Parts: sequence; structure tokens; C-alpha cells
Amino acid sequence: MSLVNDDIAPVGSTRRSWRAQLRGGSVLLCVGLLMLAIMIVTTVLAPWIVPYDPSASIGMPLSPPNAEHLLGTDVIGRDILSRLISGGRTTLLITGIAVSLALVAGLILGLLSGYLGGIVDETIMRILDVVFAFPVFLLAIAVVAALGPTIPNLIITIAIVYTPAMARVVRGPVLSVKQWDHVEAARSIGVGDVRIVSRHILPIVASPVVVETSLTLAQTIFTVTALSFLGLGPPPPDPNWGGMLAESRQFMELAPITVIAPAGAIVFATMTFIILANGLREFLNVSTRR
Amino acid sequence: MKRLIIVRLAWTFAILLGVSFIAFILMRALPGDFVLAAAGTTSVSAEALDGMRAELGLDRPVLEQYLVWLGNALQGDFGASFVTHAPVLQELAPRFFVTLQLSLVAIVMALLIGGVTGLASARLRGRVDWLVRAINGVSLAVPNFVIATLIVLLAGLYFPQLVVFGYTPFAVDPLKSFGNLLLPGLALGLAVSVTISENTRAAVLEVSNQDFVMVARAKGLKRSTVLFQYLLRNAATPIITVAGLQVATLLGGSILVETIFAIPGMGQYLFDSITRRDYPVIQAIVLVAAGVVVLINMLVDIAYIRADARVRL
Repeated sequence: MSLVNDDIAPVGSTRRSWRAQLRGGSVLLCVGLLMLAIMIVTTVLAPWIVPYDPSASIGMPLSPPNAEHLLGTDVIGRDILSRLISGGRTTLLITGIAVSLALVAGLILGLLSGYLGGIVDETIMRILDVVFAFPVFLLAIAVVAALGPTIPNLIITIAIVYTPAMARVVRGPVLSVKQWDHVEAARSIGVGDVRIVSRHILPIVASPVVVETSLTLAQTIFTVTALSFLGLGPPPPDPNWGGMLAESRQFMELAPITVIAPAGAIVFATMTFIILANGLREFLNVSTRR
Repeated sequence: MKRLIIVRLAWTFAILLGVSFIAFILMRALPGDFVLAAAGTTSVSAEALDGMRAELGLDRPVLEQYLVWLGNALQGDFGASFVTHAPVLQELAPRFFVTLQLSLVAIVMALLIGGVTGLASARLRGRVDWLVRAINGVSLAVPNFVIATLIVLLAGLYFPQLVVFGYTPFAVDPLKSFGNLLLPGLALGLAVSVTISENTRAAVLEVSNQDFVMVARAKGLKRSTVLFQYLLRNAATPIITVAGLQVATLLGGSILVETIFAIPGMGQYLFDSITRRDYPVIQAIVLVAAGVVVLINMLVDIAYIRADARVRL
């Protein structure tokens, strides 16, 4: 029997139990999770809960909110609530998939870079530095403009744009954790690299990565809606929040709701992930960056 | 310190090379042909296309094309616009100045708003602190194009006499020129002000705990002297660093804000060029914007190295 059991992964920080934490006032986390739940439920159930066909003109144009159309109708008489729900589905789908891709790519690059060090680290980080040099939104615009605005291209673009930041967040802690005693111990009893990384390093660097992911989700909502606002979003007739905001600008003094509704949806989504990030940071004891 | 700066300069140069290569290759990787976009129509004979290809140098190896393009770009020759056929530089330069002016207004507003709220948050604590952080949290969640749209909406609804759109050239009326940029500057600067506010708060709190501040207070210096000569002076470095690093945010945001407020800057030019598929212009703007960000980051780094003797890697 070996003295060091390599299955016991160390706990990075002393934590109170989940329940004590929640009772102790992780209000932010609870609010964030609640808002996230609302968004996910509406997204998943979108096709069944939309009151009307989002792309069909079914009412008077620009009618104010009323019993039939809770958020009124847009300039060609489409139901705004239906468009909001259905547009949220597109936005959140793109955001979710793109950030997952960036997360996976960032984890792989960051772990490789931090764990292997040396020339691998230098090469990966220097290449990422170049991508990092571009203003995120500018790079996103250029890539989407080059590839053409379709949903898969938007996903690829956003994944590319946010990978460097993710890789950096992973790499930092890996650099120090790989020198900790338990990693040394695992290595000395002959545990393989893959197992060391997955069982002894990954769980410890997971907390900052979770927080960063939530922040990236917020930024991605911004990027996706901003691209749609500029007409580089999902192609019509699919509604999307940024596009709704853009096409209603001309008429907003006649019918403020046409602008306020999509604006509110965008802010709600962004705020969900920012609140969630702060709640998670508190809950997971992640020190603030910088 | 000199060695550190030289290394940083060399590294900046390498990044700029990489950036220019990406800017070049992005536009060459277009679906459909570069030359079709250059022709502006698909109904061109194959021979005519071949002729244009040769003229644009597209028949040569990619690396050679890149070097030629980079060489020209370094001399300020970004080629001719596909749409107007005028040299890109000639159209870009005045617009670059407008964006510069807008960014300047935005960063000054961000420093004012962020500095004051951050300082109030750190010094007054309690409710003020809570309020500032809550407001910051909310403003962080409102994207700049949403703020810009809402500003336009509110101005239109409640202050119809206010001129919200457009831009007066600086040469015509400097005062009015800056006046026109106040609202767009606010929309652009608000997100940056949050970062500045949070960093000011952190920096002031950190400096407040230092011994020399306690000594200054203990020996009976005036509150204002302690605040300005001791606290702010020492908290300023990290705040300015953070402000410098926000240039990328400003340049990215200017695309949206300029489009919304009809300001004829680089961002609006980029937007127009994308809808017109004017690739030489897009390429030039991407290169210039990324170049500016890289250079400013370098300046911030060097200023930081010079200001803080502890940064000796």
C-alpha cells in the first residue's frame, strides 16, 4: 500500500459547506442562478411559449403594449414579445456554444502552456499575444466580415476571439500549482502527466476558470448583440436582440417600447452573467483579478 | 531598465508584424474571390478578372503579396478603395482624427466620473460605497450601443431641441466640435469609467493603509493636502495604467457609437466599408487600430517601468 494516495486531491482553500455558504449570504449567487434559470427555461421552451409566430405580421404596426400583445408590435406588426423570446434563443445558443468552445480551447492551451512550460509555453503565449493585441470587437467584426455572417461563423469567430483570455486565466495558476508539494508527491510515485493534470491541477485551477467563463458569457452577449446591431448577426428572418434594436431606432420616438424591450433583454442577459460571476467569485473564494 | 525597455520594444515590433499578417490574411481568406469584390460585380469576363488579378498582384505567392502590401502600408500606401478608387490613406486620415477626438472626450469623461466615484467610494465608505458599486455593476451590464440608443431616445423624447446627431469639424468651430461629442463620449466612456472607478477605489484604499499617510495625518497636515499630495499622487499610477489599457475598448466601442450618433469617424467608416465590401479599407482600419492599441500598451508598460522602480523583471 502506498503512503500517498493519489486519489485524494487536495482542497485549494478551506471552505464552509454549501449550505453554510448559502445561508451566509451568497445572495448574489442565488440571484444570478435564478436569473440564469429564467433565461434557460425561456430559451428551451421558446417554441412552445411564444404567443405568436415571431416572423409573421399579425397586428397593427407599432401598437403600444396591450392585452393581445404584451410588449406591443414592431414596425411591420410583428409581436415583440414573441420576437424577444425567439431572438433570445438564437443569441443564447450562439453565446453558449461559442463560449464552450473558447473554454475547451483555452483549457487545453492554458494547461499545455502552463504545465509543459519552456518552448511550448513561449510559442503558445506569443501566438496568443498577437491575437490579444486586437481590440476584441474589431477582430470579431473583421472575422465575421471576412467569413460572412452566418450562425456557425459567428460561433467560430467568438470562440477565436475569447480563447486567448481564457488560456491566460488557466495558465497563470497552473504555473504555481504544478510546483506544489502534492503534485511533486504524485510525480515521485510515478503518476502520469495526464492524470496529474486532470486530477491534481485542474480541480484547483477550476475556480478562477469558472468565474472567467461567466464574465466571458457576459462579454459574449455584448459582442453577439453588437454584431447583430451592425447587421453582422444571424441572417434574417430569424429575430435577434441586436437586430431588433437596430431596426427600431428610426421609430423609437413613436413607439419607445420597440427599443426598450430588446435593450432590456440585452441588459438582463448581460447582468445575469455579471451577477453570477460575482456570486461565484464570492462563493469559490477567488481573489479579484489584477 | 534600459535593457527591459529594449526587449519590450523588440517584442512590440514582433507583435505588430503578427498583427499585420493577420490583417492581411483575413481579407485574403474571403469566401468568394478578392478580385470579384474588387471588380464590384460578378458579371465580368474571365480574361478581365485575370487582368485585374495580375494588376493587384494576386497571381504571385501569398508571402510575396504580404511583403509588398506591408512595405506599401509602412510608407502610408494602403492601396485604393474598391468603391471610391481614392487612396485609402487620404480618406482614413481625417476620420482617424475624429475618432481620436471622440476617444479623448470619452477617456476624459471616464476619468472624471470614475475618479470622483472611486474616490468617494473609498473615502466615504458605507452607503456611498454601496451605491457607487451598485451603479457601477449596472453600468457594466449595459453595453455602449444600448446606452447610446437610450441617450438618443431620451434626448428625442424630452429635449427635442437638442442636436444629438452629427459632428462639427474641429477646424470650423473647436468648441462646438467638442460639444457635439459630449453625449457620444458619455456613451463610450461609461463602461471605461466603471473600470477606472473600481481601480481608483482599490488604489486609494491601498494607499490609505500605508504608514506615510498615517504619518502625514498624525503630524496634522490639512485633509486636502493629505488627499491630493499623498493619497492621489500615489494612487495615480495604477489608475492611469488602467485608463491606458482601455484604449482597445474605446476603439471597439467607437464603431458602434459613431454609427449611432452619425459621427464621420474611423468606426463609421469601417461599418460602411463592411457593408460595401471595401476590403482595402477594412484591412487598413484593422491594421491601424490594432497598431494603435499595441503602441499604447507599450507606452503604458514603459511608463510603468520608469515610474515604478520595483518593476524589474
